[in-house]
Amino acid sequence: MEKVINVLRKQHMRSGLYGLGERLRVLLFGREADKGLIFRLFIYIVLIETAYLYLNPILYMISTMVKGLSDLLDPTVNWIPKSIYWGHLKEAWTSLNYPVSFGVSASLSLASSLIQLISCAMAGYAFARLKFPFKKFWFACLIFTFIIPPQVTVLPLILMYREVGWVDTYFPMIIPTLFGHGLKGALYVIIYRQFFSVLPKELEEAAKIDGASIYRVFFKVMLPIATPAIVVVFLFSFVWSWNDSYFPMMFLFKMQDVPLSIALAKATAATGTNEGKIFAQSIEMAKSFLSVMPPLVLYMFTQRWFVEGVERTGLVE
Amino acid sequence: MSGWIRIKNVFTQRYEGILLILPWIVGFLLFVSFPLFYSLYMSFHSVRITGNGILTEFVGWKYYSNILFQDGGVFYDQLLPFLRQVLFMIPIIVIFSFMIAIMLNQKFFGRGLFRAVFFLPVIFSSGNVIQRFLSQGRGELGFLEKYSISTALTQYLPASWSMPIVTVLNSFILILWYSGVQILLFLAGRQTISSSVYEAARIDGANPWEVFWKITLPAMMPFVLLNTVYTVVDLFTFPGNPIIASVNPTQYGPTSALIWVYFIIILLFLGLVFLVLGRAARGTTFTR
Repeated sequence: MEKVINVLRKQHMRSGLYGLGERLRVLLFGREADKGLIFRLFIYIVLIETAYLYLNPILYMISTMVKGLSDLLDPTVNWIPKSIYWGHLKEAWTSLNYPVSFGVSASLSLASSLIQLISCAMAGYAFARLKFPFKKFWFACLIFTFIIPPQVTVLPLILMYREVGWVDTYFPMIIPTLFGHGLKGALYVIIYRQFFSVLPKELEEAAKIDGASIYRVFFKVMLPIATPAIVVVFLFSFVWSWNDSYFPMMFLFKMQDVPLSIALAKATAATGTNEGKIFAQSIEMAKSFLSVMPPLVLYMFTQRWFVEGVERTGLVE
Repeated sequence: MSGWIRIKNVFTQRYEGILLILPWIVGFLLFVSFPLFYSLYMSFHSVRITGNGILTEFVGWKYYSNILFQDGGVFYDQLLPFLRQVLFMIPIIVIFSFMIAIMLNQKFFGRGLFRAVFFLPVIFSSGNVIQRFLSQGRGELGFLEKYSISTALTQYLPASWSMPIVTVLNSFILILWYSGVQILLFLAGRQTISSSVYEAARIDGANPWEVFWKITLPAMMPFVLLNTVYTVVDLFTFPGNPIIASVNPTQYGPTSALIWVYFIIILLFLGLVFLVLGRAARGTTFTR
């Protein structure tokens, strides 16, 4: 009798031990790859490491920008300056001609992104849902437009714009967006196409049976429900046209009021004097800071919708 | 009356899209196809801008043979090393952004914060700002210097291959900066795999390792293809692309020829990508 109890107890202990081991294994490795503790830890390490790599230049930019002469010369000061010096920012402000170039950049990128938001949606909707002749051919053209490097078409475009007198005006940056083209226009059309092609058909059919015209269906039914795609396209378009210096550089030769991206490329810090050399880096960083600040602030406010939008657009099917 | 309605119906069925697509088609003809053919035309002509207009004179293959055979400075000393560099950068970007996207897709504390940080590169990487970081050596990885990896590389590899690798390693962080959009695309793509597939796999007793290779990776192949294409396209604007610097509105003919050489290389490259990855990724956005 005692023997039996002993055996039973042993078995019980073993199974208890086994249970503990199993529980520990589940805790560490998880039932799926993403649930275990070890994997969690691994994710955090990798993500924090990469986040640091991403943030490092930004932190460096901000820290260098506010370092005064004494902080720059002091070898013990590495990241955090002992006092905050605003001189570099002031100098960058004037050398970029900030109020003017900010205004130009803001109005250019707002205009082109707002226009692209609608014109690309029209094309994307047509590609996703509507019938028109040679649709496959035009879709191939769309993909081709996406692939083609801007450098291929830029020289003929300069000649073309010179013929019509658009060189040194803002038209070359705005007019193509009216047609759903412009900077990375093809990409936005593709994004909209993906979004519209997964929406249920019933929506537009109901409107069509009511006898609404195709424009009405588009503007009253389809566009309002495209908010996730609109957020994504608007933010991409705004940020990219804000940062773009290539097209403005090509089309604005003699213009005084240039966008920030050009002002940043043109302005060179005074490196003649000794003090200038020491300050050069700080001033460069201050300029960079001033020019990325606006899209950064915009992103901070729209970030939540943007991240959601990316997931909901299904950006790519 | 009924005839009119029938005509109207036929029109709406077949051609209703025209009203919405027409602006895009006009824009395509004006801003894409015309410049494209004109640039091809210019690459075979010497172009002079005079007061009376544009004078062109046919020169045949002269500019092309100049670039490829006689004065190959730009092509062999700048463009080919850059393309070799790109060859290393593309897999790094695609694999890195794939890993990050898979990680960001997990549910864990602080995910929103991390996601916000990982989209930052989209803002920075397209502007002049990134060139400033590059020129100040902010793209380097510290440990390379410490263990003198670049000197080792230059010793054991021929110069034509070690140089691009060293350049890539030296600007490693900035290459990672170029993966912002790719992370977005992968993250969006990961949403398309339904969670019931994973549940079924778990019930069948597949371990996490198998799940990744048998489910996640195959389902993500279309996005790998898409991202590779996007990366190739995006690198046209990478700072340090010699083509950007060489396009200036002074020599229309020779520059156009150079760009076409570059463009054809890119097209061949994309063709290769489609051939290799396209088989693994049936039913992508492009083929559908």
